[in-house]
Amino acid sequence: MSSKWTSRIIIGITLTFLIGPFLIIILAGLSAGDFMTFPPDGISLKWYLKVFTVESFRASFALSMFLAVFGTIAALILGIPAAYAISRYDIPYAETIKTIVAAPIIVPGIIVGLALLRYLVVPLGFTVTLALFLAHTALVLPYAVRVVSSSLNNLRGDMEEAAVLLGCSRIGAFMRVVLPNIQSGVLAAFILGFVTSFNQVPVSLFLSGPGVRTLPIDMLSYMEMTYDPSVAALSALLAFLSVIIVFVAEKFLGFSRYV
Amino acid sequence: MSNAFVSLQKLSLAYGSNIVVPELDLDIVEGELIALLGPSGCGKTTTMRAIAGLMAPQSGRIYIDGIDMTRMPANKRGIGLVFQSYALFPHLTTFENAAFGLRLKKLPQAEITQIVERGLRAVGLDRLADRKPAEMSGGQQQRLSLARSLVMQPKVLLLDEPLSNLDARLRLEMRAELQRVQKETGITMVFVTHDQSEALALADRIVLMNNGIIEQIGTPDELYGAPKTKFAADFFGFENIFEVEGNTIKGAAQSLPLGFESTSKYLAWRPGAIDVGVGNFSGIVRGSAFAGEQREYIIESKIGQVHAATPAADPSYKIGEEIVFDFPQDHSLPLAR
Repeated sequence: MSSKWTSRIIIGITLTFLIGPFLIIILAGLSAGDFMTFPPDGISLKWYLKVFTVESFRASFALSMFLAVFGTIAALILGIPAAYAISRYDIPYAETIKTIVAAPIIVPGIIVGLALLRYLVVPLGFTVTLALFLAHTALVLPYAVRVVSSSLNNLRGDMEEAAVLLGCSRIGAFMRVVLPNIQSGVLAAFILGFVTSFNQVPVSLFLSGPGVRTLPIDMLSYMEMTYDPSVAALSALLAFLSVIIVFVAEKFLGFSRYV
Repeated sequence: MSNAFVSLQKLSLAYGSNIVVPELDLDIVEGELIALLGPSGCGKTTTMRAIAGLMAPQSGRIYIDGIDMTRMPANKRGIGLVFQSYALFPHLTTFENAAFGLRLKKLPQAEITQIVERGLRAVGLDRLADRKPAEMSGGQQQRLSLARSLVMQPKVLLLDEPLSNLDARLRLEMRAELQRVQKETGITMVFVTHDQSEALALADRIVLMNNGIIEQIGTPDELYGAPKTKFAADFFGFENIFEVEGNTIKGAAQSLPLGFESTSKYLAWRPGAIDVGVGNFSGIVRGSAFAGEQREYIIESKIGQVHAATPAADPSYKIGEEIVFDFPQDHSLPLAR
């Protein structure tokens, strides 16, 4: 009896920690007052609506979407062949290559951001947008390689040989036989990469310029100026977006298999 | 042999520095059904992959139908391979699996439909044209794999352990199927197997391999009845193989006089050829098993273990009992090496 209650209490505490902040944010955004407070100061939708009228939010949302979509696509273009080579060929230093590819998630983001700022943007004159794009591609790459690798490992290599013997070139066999069979893995990698890039803070913190900020950074600096509930409302909207994406992915891809 | 359809000449195959086949010569006549037989690691699969073009030889040449194929890429050779795992394309239907190669040839749709339908009918899969491989049984998957290769009308059809993944009943069915296909199409077929009974049942000729070397090539009758080497004899069920010198038989511990003179290096007997109940040799029964028509014994003697078999009606011996036996000359098989 007591052990049953112990486990219930532990589950309850865990859920509170996981879901509690989310609920607080949603409710704080619904406040009718002018400051972020909890419990909310009356109920209104005005802050949720205000989010869409803030000019800098619109610009930074567009930038974040651009980085998340194209950074992830770039990471997949680099990552799929890398994953293929690692899983199919007995290449020398495969373990070293895997470690290097994983480095962006192991090295603290602050350091990556600082390094990019110090060695790309300042001396080489890279634009902040380009540096951001490169940084997000590099950050998503490990996920792309890992997720695609795991779906390649479930695919037998002799299928490609069969395709070649039926007249395919090696690349043809990859396009016609391998890609169609790993497409759900590629899609899963895309979603994971998208969410990772969109929520990225530490690297993007260093890479911002006049009018160029990703959405999370923009929210941070907005909060420094104005402590109104619109940031809470925006956070809640973004959280909903993530939940919807992951829910759809789980429903159609069995997303959790890959992560 | 100038009329060889497939000719492997001084073929040397290696994975990196690991030489699997040092030097292999083999001629296959058009329309033959050849078995590459041997234990795992003997180089049979490697040889098959070299014929298919899936691995490049270190040296030597491969001719098929008079054309030097040694450096020809696998996708241009026109050779079919039925993989042991079938290697079907899981995202495509039965029909599309079978049509895969024809589509690459850019044949008109009507022709593809016609060829594929005929091909699927030939292997009894025409009703399953819309299924995906995962929805079919192992036997059906294998027949699809066979059809997918056959619709391409390959010059040579290679089969990797075609019967090993099937249960006993399907194995008989598939065996008959392969013989029928071979008869109807006259296609040259090479199949790889580690199972001597499969090779004996199916092949026109058997190529017995060991450690990358061909031990013996011959018809099933020749290999079963008259293996020429110690390895071949062992592989085809001669369980008693002893080194001899003149009229003595050399056991592991001790040499004993044999009743006759021999000039070969080894002599071999099948278990049923050993005379039991009479003779100059004796031993203790260590194992005894009733096998329907005969009773099989393992005898421990001064020259080592001897496998004997007697008709079930003969008097039987118990484990631990002493038994006398003899090696008759008229059922002995002389082996040079």
